[in-house]
Amino acid sequence: MTEKKKYNLHSVTDRVHSGLSRRYRAEKCFRRFGVCAIGLSLFFLVILFADIMHKGLPAFLQTQIKLAVFFDPELLPLENLETADFNALLKSSCRALFPGVKGRRSKKSLYKLVSDGAAYELRKQVLRNHKLIGTTQDLWLIADDELDMLMKGNIARNPTGRFNQQQLYWIEKLEQDGRLRRRFNLTFFTSGDSRDPELSGILGALSGTVLTLLITLMFSFPIGIGAAIYLEEFLKKGRFSDFLEVNINNLAAVPSIIFGLLGLGIFINFFGLPRSAPLVGGLVLTLMTLPTIIISSRAAIKAVPPSIREAALGLGASPVQVVFHHVLPLALPGMLTGTIIGMARALGETAPLLMIGMVAFIVDIPKSFNSAATVLPVQIYLWADSPERAFTERTSAAIIVLLVFLVLMNASAVYLRRKFERRW
Amino acid sequence: MNMMLKKQFYENTATESKLPDADGIRQTVGEPFLENSRISCREIDVFYGQKAAINKVSLDIGSNEVIAMIGPSGCGKSTFLRCLNRMNDTIDSCRVTGSILLDGEDINRTDVDVVLLRARVGMVFQKPNPFPKSIWENVAYGPKIHGLAPKKNDLDEIVETSLRRAGLWDEVKDRLDELGIGLSGGQQQRLCIARTIAVSPEVILMDEPCSALDPIATAKIEDLISGLREKFTIIIVTHSMQQASRISQRTAYFHLGNLVEVSTTRQLFTNPRHQLTEDYITGRFG
Repeated sequence: MTEKKKYNLHSVTDRVHSGLSRRYRAEKCFRRFGVCAIGLSLFFLVILFADIMHKGLPAFLQTQIKLAVFFDPELLPLENLETADFNALLKSSCRALFPGVKGRRSKKSLYKLVSDGAAYELRKQVLRNHKLIGTTQDLWLIADDELDMLMKGNIARNPTGRFNQQQLYWIEKLEQDGRLRRRFNLTFFTSGDSRDPELSGILGALSGTVLTLLITLMFSFPIGIGAAIYLEEFLKKGRFSDFLEVNINNLAAVPSIIFGLLGLGIFINFFGLPRSAPLVGGLVLTLMTLPTIIISSRAAIKAVPPSIREAALGLGASPVQVVFHHVLPLALPGMLTGTIIGMARALGETAPLLMIGMVAFIVDIPKSFNSAATVLPVQIYLWADSPERAFTERTSAAIIVLLVFLVLMNASAVYLRRKFERRW
Repeated sequence: MNMMLKKQFYENTATESKLPDADGIRQTVGEPFLENSRISCREIDVFYGQKAAINKVSLDIGSNEVIAMIGPSGCGKSTFLRCLNRMNDTIDSCRVTGSILLDGEDINRTDVDVVLLRARVGMVFQKPNPFPKSIWENVAYGPKIHGLAPKKNDLDEIVETSLRRAGLWDEVKDRLDELGIGLSGGQQQRLCIARTIAVSPEVILMDEPCSALDPIATAKIEDLISGLREKFTIIIVTHSMQQASRISQRTAYFHLGNLVEVSTTRQLFTNPRHQLTEDYITGRFG
């Protein structure tokens, strides 16, 4: 008996021992697989970021050109300054740089070095300060986008390209005189879209995004959390609740463009809300984010330990008091996480906005929920579609702005979660 | 080995024909009825879906007494306890029939206000479950939602007397604003008791309040229960027969959803009248 037992024991250890190396090998294999997976994703992430940064960062600098502008009183009659010909003023300043230039074509190629926007800049300065008239000022004015590209090395310096021999000579001369410099591109952050890359900015799309997301947050957060609380705490479990649950889960997986069609049909065609407006965009994105928020909020409510509910009920709290005094504070961090995930998805959404006309060339910066607007991802799409070389770097710059926005949103989510998180 | 077999036997017979010893079990032996009862339950049945959890339990509970419920796991003693403050309402599939009179009023009717009922019948749970709030807020929560203290001073007074009565005041008086979950297990359970008595209920239900505690913390809570008897009626579910014999005046023995025997504690432990009771308390099964 004892011998048999001993033998058995021996064989058990042996068997375990013989299997051990196989088990450890499997574990090692799995670990290596995990490291590879993470390494690969990090690698692609680094490539993505490096590419975007490499392309986008130069867009935050803009080439400027120094002109000695003579504010000619003849061109600028005091009685109607508003409508004065500032283009002519700009052209004469260009000619003053290279007095030897003759002929229409040569002059035209000279004017092309300075952006059309420079004339607006001159107008602004004169309207602000009438005393400028009659004086000569050295002004740094915004250069044309092609000159900007040349200076940044994106266009080759040879006469076969976009610049002719004469222009290249002028540029060299300007450089030697110290009349070209690169400064922070404030225009990019202070203006809306434009046909001229050097005058286009992100502010229009950015404020469109902020307005749209505000609407989305305002509607989807209370509605989503209210629905989640009702479904989880008050609705009797049964066939109807199962039916609702299946449908909410399905809605979360519906392609977003379908929500766009729904928005077009309901908000624009039926209720007659304006096209291209952040209000409609926000409502459409609300429909799209609601399922995400409801699902994650329900999960957060489910995670609240039932003992807390029982304790409150046992003290005589009414169901609503149980929810608002105990369940909601404990579930809030999870609800916030779900909301931010939903909002981040809404931030990057383009397809549903196609349907309600938010894909449009909009120069003005939207001031209200009703004004025409576009959003960051749509702006990225529009710029990526433009032929000008300078829009390529602006596309990447817009992506950087979008990513920064996203990181800020997620950081605020982490902060809020930390703040509300409690142990139990 | 013998014990195991016997247990198996009882369980098998129970599943085959719900009432193995029909008259012997369904007829509660001992003294389930009292002259002046605080709570009187008549023919209570509880079903979870189709499954019966307790069958036709009739029992009276007097004022200012501690009555202990003992019995093997799953015998329905906690289910019975939860009928008394309608906590079974929170389980969708649960159905309770029969009448439960609290001071002559049937509390098992649908038109009874459960919020009011639970203010009158407090409950302490198996696992200490303080709210993730400060100690002060934990105790003050009940009086606050019921509007028992119009002024904050009154609330402070209620918190202090409740904590004193629960024997916790000296340990926590300097840190009332700390989280209740920062306390030790025994302190947490006393905090839960303080929270319950802060509402001044008439009856306190305790569902194995000491099962998660060490012997020293258990002893403190047992002392506390004996002290609380002067003001409250206490119904306690326990797995420990020693505990039942130490703190209760009467003891009820449940078996497979039936109330087998109710006697004075001394009688039940020294001279049980039913065979099942005797088997259980002598440790032959359970």
